[in-house]
Amino acid sequence: MDEKLFEILEDIQPEVDYHTCTTLIDDHYLNSLAIISLVAELEEAFDVTIPTVEIIPENFNSAENMWKMIVRLQEEG
Amino acid sequence: MFTISTYFSMAYVLLLLGAILLYEVFPKRARRWVLLLFSYLFFFLISRKLVIYLMLSTLSVHHIGLWLSDVQAECKLKMKEIPKEEKKALSASYQKRLRGIMCFAVFLHVGTLFVLKYTPFTIGNINALFDLAGISLTLPTPRLLVPIGISFYTLQAVSYLFDVYRQKIPADRNLLRLAMFMSFFPQIMEGPICRYSDTAESLWQAERIKYSALIQGGQRILYGVMKKLVIADRLNILIKDVFASYNDYEGIVIAISAVFYTIQLYCDFSGTMDVVIGSAQIFGVKLPENFRRPFFSATISEFWQRWHITLGTFFKDYVFYPLSMSKPLKKLTTKARKKLGNHFGPLLSGAIALFCVWLFNGLWHGAGWNYIFFGMYHFVLILIGSTIEPLVIKVTQKLHIKRTCLPYKCFQIVRTTILVMIGELFFRAEGLRTGFAMFLKIFTDRSFAPVSDGAIFTYGMDKPDFIIIGVAVLILFVIGLIQEKGVHIREAIARRNIVLQFAIFYALILFIIIFGAYGTGYIPLDPIYANF
Repeated sequence: MDEKLFEILEDIQPEVDYHTCTTLIDDHYLNSLAIISLVAELEEAFDVTIPTVEIIPENFNSAENMWKMIVRLQEEG
Repeated sequence: MFTISTYFSMAYVLLLLGAILLYEVFPKRARRWVLLLFSYLFFFLISRKLVIYLMLSTLSVHHIGLWLSDVQAECKLKMKEIPKEEKKALSASYQKRLRGIMCFAVFLHVGTLFVLKYTPFTIGNINALFDLAGISLTLPTPRLLVPIGISFYTLQAVSYLFDVYRQKIPADRNLLRLAMFMSFFPQIMEGPICRYSDTAESLWQAERIKYSALIQGGQRILYGVMKKLVIADRLNILIKDVFASYNDYEGIVIAISAVFYTIQLYCDFSGTMDVVIGSAQIFGVKLPENFRRPFFSATISEFWQRWHITLGTFFKDYVFYPLSMSKPLKKLTTKARKKLGNHFGPLLSGAIALFCVWLFNGLWHGAGWNYIFFGMYHFVLILIGSTIEPLVIKVTQKLHIKRTCLPYKCFQIVRTTILVMIGELFFRAEGLRTGFAMFLKIFTDRSFAPVSDGAIFTYGMDKPDFIIIGVAVLILFVIGLIQEKGVHIREAIARRNIVLQFAIFYALILFIIIFGAYGTGYIPLDPIYANF
């Protein structure tokens, strides 16, 4: 997983252990405003377009799932 | 025969029993038709010839879904045939075509809803503007018949089409399955607003009725009936009288009525949802939950994640995120974040999207300024909550208040509940002006006499009524508390022996028979959400 992802996450919402947490959405660590920031940052940093259909709890509940989504979107071009 | 209060009438019980009986008698294939026929029968008995709107809407959704799917398939095929450098342009041209189809679909479905529901309100406001400008012209207001449940099935239709457009689900070629999804009778009048992926497949499976589903569904129905008959209907006379002629009542009575109306609205709507979800459970269909103990919420934002959940998620998925993730707002977020930081940066684009959500939310509830105010009230509260969050964290840290401790949580819950009750006062008031007048009277007419001299017990609810309401609300609170701890009560009961299961059944029935507010002296409450 890219360290840049952790940097972005910690910048947006510190005080969360992104290496272990798998309930970022379910336990309200990331609210909708954080998601707005996060998507804008991820798109810029990883040169992907994250469509609205991808904004579901499963994709944002953990850093690992976010990374999987980014890689998939990069591959899809 | 069928009144608007159908979910709590003998007629609904008979219809449900008839559906269960025929569903069980017929083989799997025919069971689907049984469900569809009962759905249309139910709709016809309430709305008569207006059932045609539902049928046309279903046909339109079916056709547009296939249209979208065909264009998407054509795009995929052509993409394979052309060189890489031309792909981007081709994809853009197909995206434009697909967007055009979606615009047409939204215009058609939401437009029908708008014309039927908001024409009198719009014309009334235009006439008021003419009057204000001194133009002596009055546009005639047409009387349009609005089919019951149109606000619910239109949102289901729109969500289906958006999901096909986003390729989240494939378009359904089977008209019967789509018609079952659009019209399933327990949920057609008041929701929950289902996604195609929630219910279509389980409806289509039309599995045999299981004994456990029958018992658990029955228990859920009875629990809903208890909420409606024992609490919501018992509160009706006082609420009706006070909101109709608030001038005759003291401020304290108005405040009590606002509290009671919030309890009534919750018991009416969540009680209906219990009946709806319980009925669907009998047929093996798991409908999404619409309530998750909203009065345990610490913030207004959390409250809306627990109250009318399916409407909230609809607006989140189809209005909030598409707007806040649109290109211009994304650019705004990135720019604002760099200048204003992590917290305030996304707040601007979030606020724009949130404003639209709450404007639509208010309007969805009804064509009236008090509903728009209701939406704006919650928009402002959520925005303030988000804006001052870092400040609250700092202040509580300085004061050494642990934000997770029980007293602080209780304070948050009480504060949120009071804010919700103020909102509901405006929601129920007969017009926005009346809402403000009632709210002001709470503070200007501060006499406690109706409570101290017992006059409150002569306003349509006597002392025993207050005691019954108190006990029933306490039962709901205890059940809510147990559920908050993660216990699934009905499943826990199902694991116990059959004697206990039936004892609970009979206890619920007896409680409703003895303490239900029905018969002479009571006015049953029309289902509030069926009118939205």
